[in-house]
Amino acid sequence: MRSYAVQRAGLAVVQLAVLSVLVFVLTSLLPGDAAEMRFTETLTPSQVAALRAELGLDQPPAERFVHWLGNVLTGDLGTSLISGGPVADIVRDSIGATLVLTLTTLAVVVPLAVALGIAMGTRENGRLDRAITSVTLALSAIPDFVIAVVLVAVFALKLGWLPATWVGGDLLASPALLILPVGVLLGRTVCLLSRQVRAGTIAALNAEYVTQARRLGVPRRQLLLRHVLPNAAVPGVQELARTGDTLLGGVLVVEAIFAIPGFATALVDGVETRDVPTVQGLTLVLAVAALLINLGADLVCNRLVPRTEALR
Amino acid sequence: MSVLRGAAGWVAVALCVVPLAVAVLGPFLPYDARAGLPYSSEGLLGTDGLGRDVLGLLLVGGRTALGMAFGAVVMAYLVGGLVGLTAASTRHRWLDEAMMRPLDVLLPLPSLLVISVVAVGWQASAPAITVAVAMVNVPTVARLVRAAALDAASGPVVEALRMQRESWFTIQLGYVGRSVLGPVAADLGTRITLAVFLVASVNFLGLGLSPTAPDWAVSVSRNREGLLLQPWSVLAPALLLVSFTLGFNLLADRLVHRSRRLAGSPA
Repeated sequence: MRSYAVQRAGLAVVQLAVLSVLVFVLTSLLPGDAAEMRFTETLTPSQVAALRAELGLDQPPAERFVHWLGNVLTGDLGTSLISGGPVADIVRDSIGATLVLTLTTLAVVVPLAVALGIAMGTRENGRLDRAITSVTLALSAIPDFVIAVVLVAVFALKLGWLPATWVGGDLLASPALLILPVGVLLGRTVCLLSRQVRAGTIAALNAEYVTQARRLGVPRRQLLLRHVLPNAAVPGVQELARTGDTLLGGVLVVEAIFAIPGFATALVDGVETRDVPTVQGLTLVLAVAALLINLGADLVCNRLVPRTEALR
Repeated sequence: MSVLRGAAGWVAVALCVVPLAVAVLGPFLPYDARAGLPYSSEGLLGTDGLGRDVLGLLLVGGRTALGMAFGAVVMAYLVGGLVGLTAASTRHRWLDEAMMRPLDVLLPLPSLLVISVVAVGWQASAPAITVAVAMVNVPTVARLVRAAALDAASGPVVEALRMQRESWFTIQLGYVGRSVLGPVAADLGTRITLAVFLVASVNFLGLGLSPTAPDWAVSVSRNREGLLLQPWSVLAPALLLVSFTLGFNLLADRLVHRSRRLAGSPA
């Protein structure tokens, strides 16, 4: 167990190192820099060059990378080229709304998906199973933004029950605002996860150890909770990492539609204005988060079913 | 094909074929698109927010919506499939490691993030977005193909073939390559749906194609304020997209079930 954890954490460290290079390279490759984007209309070429020197954009990429990495390691994400404030502030200001969104969604998704998955798996090919399977299959085929556009039109514009966009204030203080965005994010993630839990439940129920436990007279409730659930959860937890990716894509779309000033909005703004330090900072934070989720998922899987010795 | 057995199979095919036909044949249809007032009900499906004929836009908007996704999946399979097959068939462990390890590192990168950065960087060009979507899919495809090929390559059939002194090519292409096709076909459905989603999301967010492009996803985004004025301007492109992904999902699901039944394990 420990050796697996050490090995897996080692891989995460390597991944982190490569990711930091990738983030830097990808964002540095963006054609046109902030100096050009903002000032070509008002400044002369020589003034643009001076500005570039001031922003450090005239240094060779390798030098800029070392400089950037050194700063990041000491907790300094750099200075935004557009607002002039520290990138860390942008991260801090925007991460709250996104965290509220994702955590609320996860808090609803995980129990719901597990309950649905077990309900389906224990009634394999029954009427309930087939009904839920068809619904989840259909729902997972609808892009987030289509669901969002239709929900806004019906519940916000037509019926006027819920607010259509964020108008300021705290997300947590106005739960009504959260209903539609979380509803949109729920759709596909619940479908993905519950199908995995269903498959895991069916596989576990058919396994020999469950047959044996049943033979020994283990009560049904205990059988499900103690023997089936941990094994059924494995594909679900593995899928959670991929669900995280889907969820992040959903958050990008949802923040754009509901005008929520979160991480994704800050990122899209940064990319559009070529604010490279901001994009680098935000991307790095996201990539690290994704890495940690993956690491966590793998370690939890290994804890649930300690048979996956090798990394692959 | 037993995948098609029953009414549900044909429904799935129809769901796929209609948007596909619109996307492929649409640009060649002699349809006279006339401009009118914004969100009016002139023409069969009315006009959009810029006063353009919705049906006319639909006919030309599918090419980017589906074409980019197909291109990306083909590219992902060309690169990822080659990497996966080579990694599985090589006798040198270091080569396998050298090819697969870097992909492990790329796997956790948030896909929409990579695509957004690339899309904006290369000024909303369709090929750039296609390549980015392909890149994001390469690691998963390579892993899938390698796993499937390893399964086949380490089985008794390959051993028997080797003992019969069949050539390397006969074994690798004739047997291993062919047995990879099953898992690949099952994966293809979800992969294409995913690619359509990614392309559509990038375009919807306005990070991809220009906001006036006839693309289906761009149309949904551009006309969403007018949903109640002229519903078809949003619903028609949305329905075509959903119909395609739903049909493909259904087909993939049937394919997976069938291959599980053949393999004898519980579905």
